[in-house]
Amino acid sequence: MSSTLSSRRAASGSPGFLKRSQPRYGEKVIKVLLVAASLVSVLTTIGIVIALIPPAGEFFSKVDFGEFLTGTNWAPLFKPASFGVLPLVGGTLMVTLIALLVAVPLGLGAAVYLSEYANKRVRKIFKPLLEVLAGIPTVVYGFFALKAITPVLQSIWPAGDGPQIFNALAAGFVMGIMIIPTIASLAEDSMSAVPRALRDGAFALGSSRMQVSTRVVFPAALSGIVAAVVLGISRALGETMIVAIAAGGQPNLSFNPLEGMQTMTAFIAAAGIGDLPTGSTGYQTIFAVGALLFVMTLVMNLLSIRLVRKYREVYE
Amino acid sequence: MTPPSDATGGTRIPQVAFRSAPSLAGPVFEVGSLSVFYGDHEAVRDVNMTIGHRQITAMIGPSGCGKSTVLRCFNRMNDLVPSARVAGKVHYHNEDLYGRDVDPIEVRRRIGMVFQKPNPFPKSIYDNIAYGPRVGGFQGNLDDLVEETLTHAALWDEVKDKLKTSALALSGGQQQRLCIARTIAVKPEVILMDEPCSALDPIATAKIEDLMTHLAREFTIIVVTHNMQQAARVSDRTAFFTADVDDAGVRHGRLVEYDETERIFSNPSDQRTEDYISGRFG
Ligand SMILES: Nc1ncnc2c1ncn2[C@@H]1O[C@H](COP(=O)(O)OP(=O)(O)OP(=O)(O)O)[C@@H](O)[C@H]1O
Ligand SMILES: [Mg+2]
Repeated sequence: MSSTLSSRRAASGSPGFLKRSQPRYGEKVIKVLLVAASLVSVLTTIGIVIALIPPAGEFFSKVDFGEFLTGTNWAPLFKPASFGVLPLVGGTLMVTLIALLVAVPLGLGAAVYLSEYANKRVRKIFKPLLEVLAGIPTVVYGFFALKAITPVLQSIWPAGDGPQIFNALAAGFVMGIMIIPTIASLAEDSMSAVPRALRDGAFALGSSRMQVSTRVVFPAALSGIVAAVVLGISRALGETMIVAIAAGGQPNLSFNPLEGMQTMTAFIAAAGIGDLPTGSTGYQTIFAVGALLFVMTLVMNLLSIRLVRKYREVYE
Repeated sequence: MTPPSDATGGTRIPQVAFRSAPSLAGPVFEVGSLSVFYGDHEAVRDVNMTIGHRQITAMIGPSGCGKSTVLRCFNRMNDLVPSARVAGKVHYHNEDLYGRDVDPIEVRRRIGMVFQKPNPFPKSIYDNIAYGPRVGGFQGNLDDLVEETLTHAALWDEVKDKLKTSALALSGGQQQRLCIARTIAVKPEVILMDEPCSALDPIATAKIEDLMTHLAREFTIIVVTHNMQQAARVSDRTAFFTADVDDAGVRHGRLVEYDETERIFSNPSDQRTEDYISGRFG
C-alpha cells in the first residue's frame, strides 16, 4: 500500500500523471447493460403503441369515433353490430371505483400505521405479510370473489334481490383487497423517507401522533402517496382475471354494482381468445378498446403528475 | 450585546460581559438523581440541577456526554426514542413531568424545543408559524398571531412580503429564527435549544444570540452549545457535563459543575471544567 502510494507520488512529477493508467472496461460493460435494461421497458411501451395504432386506425376508418365514444350499446359481434363502448367503460370505472373505495383507505391506513405507529417488530411481521397478499395469483382472487364473496353478500343482503351471481361489487371489493399491498407498500416507503427531523419538530410543538402523520408526514410524502394510488388505479384498470371471472361477460351500462357488467379488459380477453379472423372489424375492436384503455391510463398518470406538482411539499 | 470576542473558540477564558442575574421567582425545573438509559446503556447518570425562572441556562461539555439526552428529558422528547428510559426526578413547577397522568403533548406545548439543524416544515412561512397554534386548536385571529410572533422573533421585516412562499427558500439563519418563532407561537414558558447555532455562520449566530437575550425577558431558556463564548455571552448559569468511563469501559455522562456562568468561566471549582473551557480538553 505504502509502496504504491510512494510510486504514485514519484510519478506525479511527470506531465499527465492525473490520467488513469488503464481503461475501466468492466464499468463500461455494466453501464451498457443497465442502459439496455431500462431501454427494454421503454421500447416495450413504444412497441405496444405501434402495434395498437394500425388496427385501431383501421377500425376507426369503419366506425365513427363519436359513435364509438358515446354509444351505449356494445355488440360488436352481432348483426347488426353496434360499437358504443360506454358499457365497457362504465363497467371498468364501476369496478375500479369500488376497488379504490376499498384499497385507498385501507392501503393508506396500513401505510400510516406501519410508518408512524408500529414498532419495529410489528413492522417486521406485517410487511412480508402484505407482500404475500400481493403475490397471490389473480385467478385465485377471481374465484374467491365468485365463490366466497358473492354468496356471502347474497346471504347477508338486507333487502331486495341482492347481488347477481356475476356482479361488479364482489369483483371490485376483491380487486380492492388485491391492490391494498401495492398502495400500502409504496405509500409506506415514501412516508418512512420523510426526515425524522420534521417529525421531531412537529412533536416538539405539541402535536399528537395523528397530527404529525396527517399534517406533516402525509403532505411531505404526497408525491409518493399519489404515485402509490395511481399505480393502484392502473392495476385496477388493467386487471382482467378477477373481473372476467366474477363480474361476468355481459356488457351492461348500469349504475347498479349488484349487476354483472363487462369491463374493457374482460372484453379484450374474451374476444382475444375467441377465433375472430384477423383483419375483421370484430378483431380490430380489440385494438380500439385497448387503445382507449391505454389513453385512459395515460391521462390519469398525467393528471396525477399535475396534482402532485401543485400540492406536494418538497423537503430538501 | 457584546460582539464575538474570539469567534474561533480560543484557548483562553473569554473576556465578555455577563448578563445580570435576574431575580428568582421559584424554580421552573428541579432535577434530582436523573439517569437516562438507552437500552441497557446508562448514557447519563445522577444529574441534579435546578433551573430558574426566565433564566438562560447553558449546557456545555464534550461530544457524547449527554447534553442532548438531558435536554430532551425536559420536554419528554425521549419518549419518542423506543429504547430510552428516564429514571429519577424531573419536576416542573413542583409537578412530576413523568407522572402517570401527565400528557406529553401538553408538556411540549409548555416546553418548546429548537433543534440543531433548522427543520422548518416544507410549508409556507405562514403555515410554519400557524402550525403549532392550529394543532393546539387556536381560536383567535391567526393572521394577527403570525404577525405578532414574527415581529417578536425579529423576522417580520424580512419575511412580511413572502409569507406564502416556502420556508425552505429562507437562508439557514432565517430558517432557524423561523423555527424559534414557530416555537414561541405556541406561547410556551420554556424554550429548549439544542445547539441552535451550530449550523450557522457567525452573523446568523449573533442574530440568534440577540434574539435569545431578548426572549429571556419572557421565556426560560435552556441551551446546549459547543461554543464557549456563546455560553459566556448569553447565559446566566452554566452546566458543565462530561463523560466518565467506568470499570467496564462504558461511558456515562455526568454533570460536573453547575453554577453562575460568570463563576464557571472565571473561577471554576472543578479542574475538568477549567480544562474544558480553556480548551485543554474535549
Ligand atoms: N437514540 C439513541 N440510542 C442509543 N444511544 C443514544 C441515543 N442518543 C444518544 N445516545 C447515546 O447517549 C450518549 C449521549 O448522547 P447525547 O446525544 O446526549 O450527547 P451530546 O452531549 O448531546 O453530544 P453532542 O455534543 O455530540 O451532541 C452517547 O453515548 C450516545 O451514543
Ligand atoms: Mg447533542
